[in-house]
Amino acid sequence: MSALGVQHSERPAFVSGSGTQRRCFTVIDGDEMFGLPVESVQTIFRIEGVTPVPLGPPEVEGLVNLRGRIVTAVSLKRRLSKTPLQAARGALAIGIEHNAENFALIVDEVGDVITCEASAQIAPPPHIDSQRAKLTNDYYRMDGRILPILDMNAIFDFTERNRGNGSAHLNPTIIRSDQ
Amino acid sequence: MDELLKDFLTETAEQIESVGTQLVLLERDPSDAAMIASIFRLVHTIKGTCGFLGLTRLGQLAHAAETLIGRIRDGATPTPDAVTVILAAIDRIKIVLAALECTAQEPDGDDSDLVQALELQSAAADAAKDQMPAPAATPPKTANAEAPPQVRGGEEATLQVRRPETIRVAVGALERIMLLVSELVLTRNQLLELTRKETEETLKAPLQRLSGLTSDLQDAAMRARMQPVGRLFGNLPRLVRELAGEVGKKIALVTEGAETELDRQLIELIRDPLTHMIRNCAAHGIETPAERLAAGKPESGTIRISASHEAGQITIDVVDDGRGLDISRIRQKAIALGLANEAEVARMSNDDICRFIFAPGFSTAGAVTSLSGRGVGMDVVRENIEAIGGSISLSSMLGQGTCFSIKIPLTLAIAPALIVQAGGHRFALPQVSVVEAVGVGPGSAHTLERVQGAKVLRLRQEVLPVADLCDLFGLTHQADEADARLVVVMRVGTLSFGILVSAVADVQEIVVKPLGASLAHLKVFSGHTILGDGSVVLILDPAGLAGSLGLQRSSDYAIVAPTEPPTPPRESTRLILFRAGSGALKALPLSLVSRIESVPSDRLTQSDGTLITMHQGRLMPIVPASATIVRANAIHPVLVISLGGEFMGILVEEIIDIVEEPLDIQIAGGAEDIVGTAEIRGDAVNILDIMHFIQQARPNAPLRSIARRFKVVLVDDKLFFRDMLAPVLTSGGYEVTTCASAAEALALIERGISFDAIVTDTDMPEMNGYHFAEAVHSHPRCGDLPIIALAAHATNPVLAAARASGITAVAGKFDRRGLLETLRACLNRDDLTNTELEQRVLTEKAA
Repeated sequence: MSALGVQHSERPAFVSGSGTQRRCFTVIDGDEMFGLPVESVQTIFRIEGVTPVPLGPPEVEGLVNLRGRIVTAVSLKRRLSKTPLQAARGALAIGIEHNAENFALIVDEVGDVITCEASAQIAPPPHIDSQRAKLTNDYYRMDGRILPILDMNAIFDFTERNRGNGSAHLNPTIIRSDQ
Repeated sequence: MDELLKDFLTETAEQIESVGTQLVLLERDPSDAAMIASIFRLVHTIKGTCGFLGLTRLGQLAHAAETLIGRIRDGATPTPDAVTVILAAIDRIKIVLAALECTAQEPDGDDSDLVQALELQSAAADAAKDQMPAPAATPPKTANAEAPPQVRGGEEATLQVRRPETIRVAVGALERIMLLVSELVLTRNQLLELTRKETEETLKAPLQRLSGLTSDLQDAAMRARMQPVGRLFGNLPRLVRELAGEVGKKIALVTEGAETELDRQLIELIRDPLTHMIRNCAAHGIETPAERLAAGKPESGTIRISASHEAGQITIDVVDDGRGLDISRIRQKAIALGLANEAEVARMSNDDICRFIFAPGFSTAGAVTSLSGRGVGMDVVRENIEAIGGSISLSSMLGQGTCFSIKIPLTLAIAPALIVQAGGHRFALPQVSVVEAVGVGPGSAHTLERVQGAKVLRLRQEVLPVADLCDLFGLTHQADEADARLVVVMRVGTLSFGILVSAVADVQEIVVKPLGASLAHLKVFSGHTILGDGSVVLILDPAGLAGSLGLQRSSDYAIVAPTEPPTPPRESTRLILFRAGSGALKALPLSLVSRIESVPSDRLTQSDGTLITMHQGRLMPIVPASATIVRANAIHPVLVISLGGEFMGILVEEIIDIVEEPLDIQIAGGAEDIVGTAEIRGDAVNILDIMHFIQQARPNAPLRSIARRFKVVLVDDKLFFRDMLAPVLTSGGYEVTTCASAAEALALIERGISFDAIVTDTDMPEMNGYHFAEAVHSHPRCGDLPIIALAAHATNPVLAAARASGITAVAGKFDRRGLLETLRACLNRDDLTNTELEQRVLTEKAA
């Protein structure tokens, strides 16, 4: 388990001046790669068994026993509104503490820790799906691909989605396209 | 912060609390020299340490207080004024201490007002002492002058013995230990699982030992969190004293069971409800001294708070000897608030009406005082208690007082739970709210019924709404669980409902952990836990389930018409088997019991030496089935016995079963309430004598029911049947003489005693029923005396023999109603013709 302190600032890349670096942990879902702020990641483990939560948010895969602690397992796939798959035993999960709650983010694969230079940061592409756009806050140019960074606040906030995804979510896209 | 100051603060905080409590006690009993010495020592220590630490403000206050307490120690009377001033000084000391805790500095402020008041009281004490006649003043003075070194020495000695027994531990450290122990338990369980197939003894033995030690450690860690409930009682004397002053009443406080241990967390959680209940007693319950004297009560009212531990629960009773609840006012208020209409209220028992005070916004106090009358009160108390898995009940007698009784679990951290299965998933269900589990699968005695699409379960006299956990949670039914289905009956407050599950997998002690913020909105779950096998299960919240079923909480309850008693079988007797008191299980023939009621303990009222409850809108006396009965549960099964239109109840602890067994009484009963002892399914069971209980509950019932009493002779060689049938006949309004043999009955007739009818067994040694009937009819005075034969089987040979011997009618030996009907018909001279007789037998056979 990582001994790194868990310190969140919503947009660290913007706060820090140019020339500073940001370390990211890469995760792969299908053919997509995402970055996680490395300070969020506590541990990586394989899920032994999941207890589903009836009536719970659809993104919540269930509850998992992580060394005597109960953590809420969230499927990144579901979170990205992809076709939900059967939560497989032995799935790879990343232990993340967020707002004093323990989560396990289920991903397909984990990559390496990479360093993102502030100079490589790009503006969010304007035409990204609104649901998706909310989950990511920063974008970096990498060798041959763009790396979106997942926003922990958005990933583990089910309340907004539960309120319904009506017209309110369309507005940001429109504003962005005007930029 | 300075270590020394830290130690001083923690120590003083505890001491100062006890000074307040002790002062109030001292005021009541000024002669307690040890108490004065103890108070003096505490204040003296504070003063001494203040000087050492350079806390001048605190020092001055403590000094002035010490002087006054010193006067009291030297024999001055602790007047109410003096005590009030000292209490005020203690409050001020507390304020200064609190500031010290935050800033490590004494706050600025002027205490000269208090110091002056303290000095004034000291002077007054001096003056009073001077005025005292010398002889009266001398004894306590000399005693004290010589005593102090000894008293002080004794105090110190006991303190030194006590000191090493406790050690102050931060709560966080305890919590951490609990957490580690939970993890240890899980690791142990995994290890046991892994080594299950292991045959190596060298490994097994230490593992067993590790397992046992882990359990012990878990238990010990749990106990370390327990604290005596006395912590809660500590500040109550002062509270009551202040309340009494505010309302101008005289109130004494009695606390009992302060040593009862309770989880630390719970102690804090019940502090407010308890305080509120005491306020309520002081404001509403206790009358003014004048009113009390007029009512012939002692001037001073008493609030009694007692804590006890029974059956995994803590019961705290708050009892006052005040005016009791004014039922008529509560009734009016309930109608005014629209909680019930007049017809409903009229039908309710007093206890049910009392329960209205738990309704939100309910207050009957005319005036709004700082204490009560604002209508926010008992509902909050009830909510708080129910939130921690407890229950509250009350009983009240007008003019005699009110008793609030709260029952709370020992701890919130660990709770016994049923692990139920539904749709392939497992859930934990806290056992506190589970009443019973009823099988509804094929072959079960109960089946689920549908009313307009909704599932209901008919259970005894109740109709329960049932929710399928699979439907509720959108789970798919597993193919293999279709046949084994179970309804778990739960009770939340006054509400009963069932949930349909496929099985109860296990019963486990679970460590309750709250849900994370992202799932906390799910009201049907109260938390989650890790089971022994390491898997996570969700804990169902009974109140949340009730809510999601759309069930409303109400104090209403359905009054259901009595069901027909079950048809008695032939040959063997249907017995209801139950537990009541110590010793063997007890039983009664089911035919005597008209129904079984579940009576919540708060609906049992002690009245005039007997227990009563409301039954079908009328008061029903209840007699415990045994003197040693334990009334630990919230719900008591009551066997309802019908006595010619009147009812009585027999209170039992637990209904075990209904068995159909040939009855063989092997040992005649020695006690007056037992007919004898029989062997049922390998167990010795005491058969109760129903008449004993009827005499206790309704001594006049048989007399009252009928004016002209027919005399009936009951002849049976078996004591059991005599004792069973005699009360049946008596309750039917007959005067019964029992005879153990035909010869005995004939002897009575010989002696010239006249009867209206004879009820006789057919199968008796020496002379059987048929010969007996012939003998009776051959007697000149008894030529046409109706004779009813009792037969286990009313077969054709029996009927033929009966007709041949002149027997008027045949009744089933176990058919209570049939016997009474037949008897009535005979005595009305409506002699049964043969066809009628045959018809009776046929209907009986059909039944």
